[in-house]
Amino acid sequence: MNTRVSRRILLATAGTLAMTAGAALAQDCPIRIGALAPLSAPGTVVGGEAMRDAMMIAEADINAAGGILGCEMELVIGDSEGLPERATAVMERLITQDGVVAVGGGYHSSVGVASKDVADARGIPVVFAETWNDTITGDKQKYIFRIAPLSSWTSNIIWEFALTVPGIDKAVILTENTDYGIPASQETQKGLEAGGVASTIFSVDIGTQDYAGIVERIKAEDPDMIITLVTGEAAFNFTQQAADAGIGPLDVPFITGQDALESGTYWTNVPDGQYAFIQRIGVPESQFTEKGKAFAAVYKEKTGKSDVESYAMEAYDSIAILAQAIEEAGSTDGDAIVTALENISHEGTLGRIYFDYGLKKDPSADGKGDEWWHQWPDPAITMIQYQEEGQASTDAAIVFPEAYKTADPVWVTE
Amino acid sequence: MGDKLDTPAIFWGVILWMVAWGVLGSIALRRRYFARDLDTSNASFVGALSGAALGPVGVGLLWARTPALTGRFVAVFGVIAVVLIAAAFAFADPDNNCVANGSFVASQITNGLIIGIIYGFMALGLTLIFSILGVVSFAHGEFYMIGGMLVYYITAVWFPGISPLAGVLGACFVAFCLGAVFERLMLTPMYSGKIDRPVEYGILATFGLAFTLQYFVQAVHGASPVKASRFVDFPRIRWPEDADPLWIKTSRGNLTLFETVSISNPRFIAAITCILVLLALLYLLHRTWTGKALRAVSQDRDAAAIAGIDPNRMNMLAFALGGMIAALAGALLVQAFSWLPQVGAIPAMRSFVIVVLGGLGSLPGAFLGGILVGFVEAAGTGCIPDAQKAASYIPAYGMIVLTLTLLLRPTGLFGRRYASGMHGQGG
Repeated sequence: MNTRVSRRILLATAGTLAMTAGAALAQDCPIRIGALAPLSAPGTVVGGEAMRDAMMIAEADINAAGGILGCEMELVIGDSEGLPERATAVMERLITQDGVVAVGGGYHSSVGVASKDVADARGIPVVFAETWNDTITGDKQKYIFRIAPLSSWTSNIIWEFALTVPGIDKAVILTENTDYGIPASQETQKGLEAGGVASTIFSVDIGTQDYAGIVERIKAEDPDMIITLVTGEAAFNFTQQAADAGIGPLDVPFITGQDALESGTYWTNVPDGQYAFIQRIGVPESQFTEKGKAFAAVYKEKTGKSDVESYAMEAYDSIAILAQAIEEAGSTDGDAIVTALENISHEGTLGRIYFDYGLKKDPSADGKGDEWWHQWPDPAITMIQYQEEGQASTDAAIVFPEAYKTADPVWVTE
Repeated sequence: MGDKLDTPAIFWGVILWMVAWGVLGSIALRRRYFARDLDTSNASFVGALSGAALGPVGVGLLWARTPALTGRFVAVFGVIAVVLIAAAFAFADPDNNCVANGSFVASQITNGLIIGIIYGFMALGLTLIFSILGVVSFAHGEFYMIGGMLVYYITAVWFPGISPLAGVLGACFVAFCLGAVFERLMLTPMYSGKIDRPVEYGILATFGLAFTLQYFVQAVHGASPVKASRFVDFPRIRWPEDADPLWIKTSRGNLTLFETVSISNPRFIAAITCILVLLALLYLLHRTWTGKALRAVSQDRDAAAIAGIDPNRMNMLAFALGGMIAALAGALLVQAFSWLPQVGAIPAMRSFVIVVLGGLGSLPGAFLGGILVGFVEAAGTGCIPDAQKAASYIPAYGMIVLTLTLLLRPTGLFGRRYASGMHGQGG
């Protein structure tokens, strides 16, 4: 009996090894996956570094679990610098020189908009992690997927939240001149207008440092709320300079840029940033999935940060979902990976990730817009507020929407 | 206040009139002075300004009397032209903040002046290097960057709690030494005659230094933005106590004049320090042997060498001083702006614009050019009716002034026709 069992185990093991070896032989090992992140200015380096760290953790986790198709997975990081022209060059290099079979990551919308055409033309699947512009999925390209929310969804949350500010009649929106900022500001303005709130949009170049003149103009507008749709240190500069001029988060309801989620950097750069509101993608840490909790622990240990930014979790998931798709496709062929992604059910740090629409079913079949193509429909979008000075973003109060709310917002004008 | 001028025809009509007479004046006066065998170096510039300011009257008067075209004409016609543009703007858009809101105008002028002083100060370092070495330092922005980074590291990381003054002095010392060592190691081949194209060599060497410094800092520090704490807090002042409005009111981080103009503490401290250091620099250049030697070398290297001045030593001093000035600007602004390894790129570009605008090699030109650019940026940001465009065009405002100036006066506002400098002529 024992001999028979041992023989069966031996045969099964040999078979598995043979299949794995066969798969590995069919692939060029290691399997390379590209990772886009802004690691130099004018890109948002704070966000880029967080994403890079998260994607490297994904690489380590995947390899610790046996790699992909029996091969080691190698992450090839490309610095997009937040520039569209650089992004296309990096995407081209990743595909043609580095031989990546798929690409994850991506922070700036303009990078996503510019680089997706390169990947799609070359048949390389991309899962964008943090690029919000609606057209990224709205162009309905075969190889392009996204797990970040749509810009229109995030704008909805912002203006819906803004309409809850007591006595609001007028808002000022500061936006960057990018594929993220321009549509987001227009959608926010439209939503505010529908709610009877007038708004003025001021737009600036990405990486703007000196806001003295624009802060005076905003002051002259006497707004009831300030909404910042600017990324990176530019948002830090604006928020602190507005605070110096008496229209900062301590003076008026103030939504600052999303990079304030890295609270250590935020408090260093914006010491007068208490009571700022920030948009956060993903549920609060108390509601993280098991995978989310495990990732958070490793990420905090690796980076020394006290909290986990949502874009870090998205970046991790973008790599992990690609690894699962390649495994399920059984090959690194782009078309096979796309089919696997369209049918995937991935337990990610952000929750279960899936794609309802694509080649298998057009969004129009359910009366949805084109932007739902290859779009994860469930990212949670919340507004948090730093109610205490020096607070970590994961400890900050969730003030909107009701479904996730942990505390009432503090209105500094009351 | 809308997004557009109320009556654009008035404003653009006046601009068209000024441009038309400016072009006519520029061409006509140059020909007139040339035909009369008079100095034509300023004819195009003053002709354009006279046409823009006074139209046919200005051009006609100069045409008829052909006076010597001194700086006084430039100043008078320039002021009249600016007033004319402002008046046309006021009529075209009477509700604009720049017309209807006095406190806004005062704030914008103050902002323009303060940032202009800092721009000018930084450009001063660049022009000092150019006037002595004849080389444009492409590492100027990186000296600015390391100045700020060093202050942050000295005051917040290495010696927390140390006086910010020690941080600033430390940053200046390091930048001075770095400039001196780099000049000795990398730029001396320019003087020996061993290099065919010394000026190009100098530019490439400073480019190399720029990349080295930037990526060195990125490798050591990373790319996360940092910021130094305010160097000093203002004491609480309400003066005079019984006045309404108060002339001066301060909080820890802000200074308010007449309860109208608000200046943030870091900018105020930076601008005042720049003025004090500028005065010290002027003293050095005009009252000390070393300063006179520097100026002598910038005017005529050979004559200076015959008089016993070592031009090579002056080269080293100029490069070190220029780098130190940029580092000081950065050291003062790291309390106002978030700081990254790439933070020097825009200020460096702006310094190039200012130096060319003020006149290559001209120290007063650099400083006044900086203030001019500061004012133009403040006016553009504050007055352009379309809020979406006002701030987007900030980098363009200085370029417009530069283009117009170079078109009419290629040597810049205060430039000498033959800027001196090393130019590889040996030492």
